[in-house]
Amino acid sequence: MMEKDNAAPIISIKNVWKYFGRNAALQDVSLDIAAGERVVVIGPSGSGKSTLLRSINRLEEIDRGSILVQGQDITDHHNDINVMRRNLGMVFQQFNLFPHKTVLQNVTLAPVKLLRLSRKEAEDRAFALLKRVGISDKANVYPAQLSGGQQQRVAIARALAMQPAIMLFDEPTSALDPEMVGEVLDVMVNLAEDGMTMVCVTHEMGFARTVADRVIFMDHGQILEMGTPDRLFTAPRHPRLRQFLNQIL
Amino acid sequence: MQDKIEGQSKGNIVMVTEENTMPDSRDGQSKNTIIMVTEGPSIPDPREWRIVNAWSIALVGAIVTLCCLAWFRPDPYRDILTFVPDGLAATFQVTLLSICCAVPLGLLTGLGRISRHRLINLVASTYVEVIRGIPLLVQIFYFYYALSGLLQLSRTAAAVISISFCYGAYMGEVFRAGILAISKGQTEAARSLGFNRFQTMFYVILPQAWRTILPPIGNECIAMLKDTALVSVVSMPDLMQRARSYANNTYLYFETYTVIALIYLIITLLLSKVVSIMESRLNYYDGKR
Repeated sequence: MMEKDNAAPIISIKNVWKYFGRNAALQDVSLDIAAGERVVVIGPSGSGKSTLLRSINRLEEIDRGSILVQGQDITDHHNDINVMRRNLGMVFQQFNLFPHKTVLQNVTLAPVKLLRLSRKEAEDRAFALLKRVGISDKANVYPAQLSGGQQQRVAIARALAMQPAIMLFDEPTSALDPEMVGEVLDVMVNLAEDGMTMVCVTHEMGFARTVADRVIFMDHGQILEMGTPDRLFTAPRHPRLRQFLNQIL
Repeated sequence: MQDKIEGQSKGNIVMVTEENTMPDSRDGQSKNTIIMVTEGPSIPDPREWRIVNAWSIALVGAIVTLCCLAWFRPDPYRDILTFVPDGLAATFQVTLLSICCAVPLGLLTGLGRISRHRLINLVASTYVEVIRGIPLLVQIFYFYYALSGLLQLSRTAAAVISISFCYGAYMGEVFRAGILAISKGQTEAARSLGFNRFQTMFYVILPQAWRTILPPIGNECIAMLKDTALVSVVSMPDLMQRARSYANNTYLYFETYTVIALIYLIITLLLSKVVSIMESRLNYYDGKR
């Protein structure tokens, strides 16, 4: 069914259902994402947007449907999810840096252990990434000594160190003090400009406007509307989206 | 902001309170969880700066008492003090061997208890249930006398095996609680990078869990040293056994057991200080406030 041509979506989500107990967190969600596309998912809390994102790298196991990443079914237990996850960088709301490791060790751990890079190669790669996210001077401190914004930028560098094809962002700025949101968004904009495929759950509408190729609005586990940010923000069709935008803008 | 997992001790049974170890409460736990087990001496707080505190009073008191007794009443006391410490070697031998067996056993048990594999989980849980329900003294008798027809264990072997089995179960609970106290986000971060379960445990979770686990494990080790006194019942020539034979020969029960109590006290107080120092060394990555 998957032909290996350039038009094939890099992520293909088909009729996905996910239940938490009796609650359907995702109801028959289908979505194709093209390589290089920047998709921003918005919606009220509890709408299932984080669940959808976390399903893509199987941090949540879906109950029905299929999710193909680069043509491989992530729910198929014959595929090695640990290998597939290397291609799916993830950034969390709570950063989740490894507190017992320095910034440099956080970024080099996975490349050294999983990609079998030499320490030198991994550190060169890490320094380049830390420079890119603007904290190369903090390489040898522990995460607890960094601000939230700095920690999140390290977390982005850590995910990029595996050279993933896709980056997933799960509300990356929601746990940050307002004055630190900008520095993290700058890094993400920079990343988007480099052509990285990005799926981002966020409440930052400014970011969605500037970066997104497509904005997706979710509520009650369903995709209610999607389109270009211009179209969605200026001419929302679905009443729930209109109501949502009124509340937050 | 520190959560505390209080351990209640009933005799030998260390229980970690329900609400903090139920699997469904994994999420909201802080990384700074302290597992407190009230068996054994309390571990001195590394931040304690006062010179006069319970620990120093007990230690100085014990040493001064022992010295005074030896100095002013040399007749029985100096004699006891030269006779009894021969047992120290056996006490330490049993303790160290038991620690070497019980800590790995505890780690395996703890991992087994949180395993998603049903059989492994069941084996580990059953082991803990069975061992916790049987007094250590009975276990020692069991390995040395009841199984003697089957196994022909030496005294040392029977002592080490029974103590290791017993403490392995308790330590398993400590390991389990310590591992569960690490936030789920750490596991998710590691898994999202491509680490498998095993790698996640060994590169990310256990290195962090150590510092939560170490103080109660150290405490268990000290409690273990105290419990080696029980092996004197199978005539293991430890500190306690030496004291018993001295007292039986001289009828100086009061004097002998006073000395023994003070010796045990001094050892455990010193060891608890060692654990406390190790604990503070483990906090290197906390960051400055």
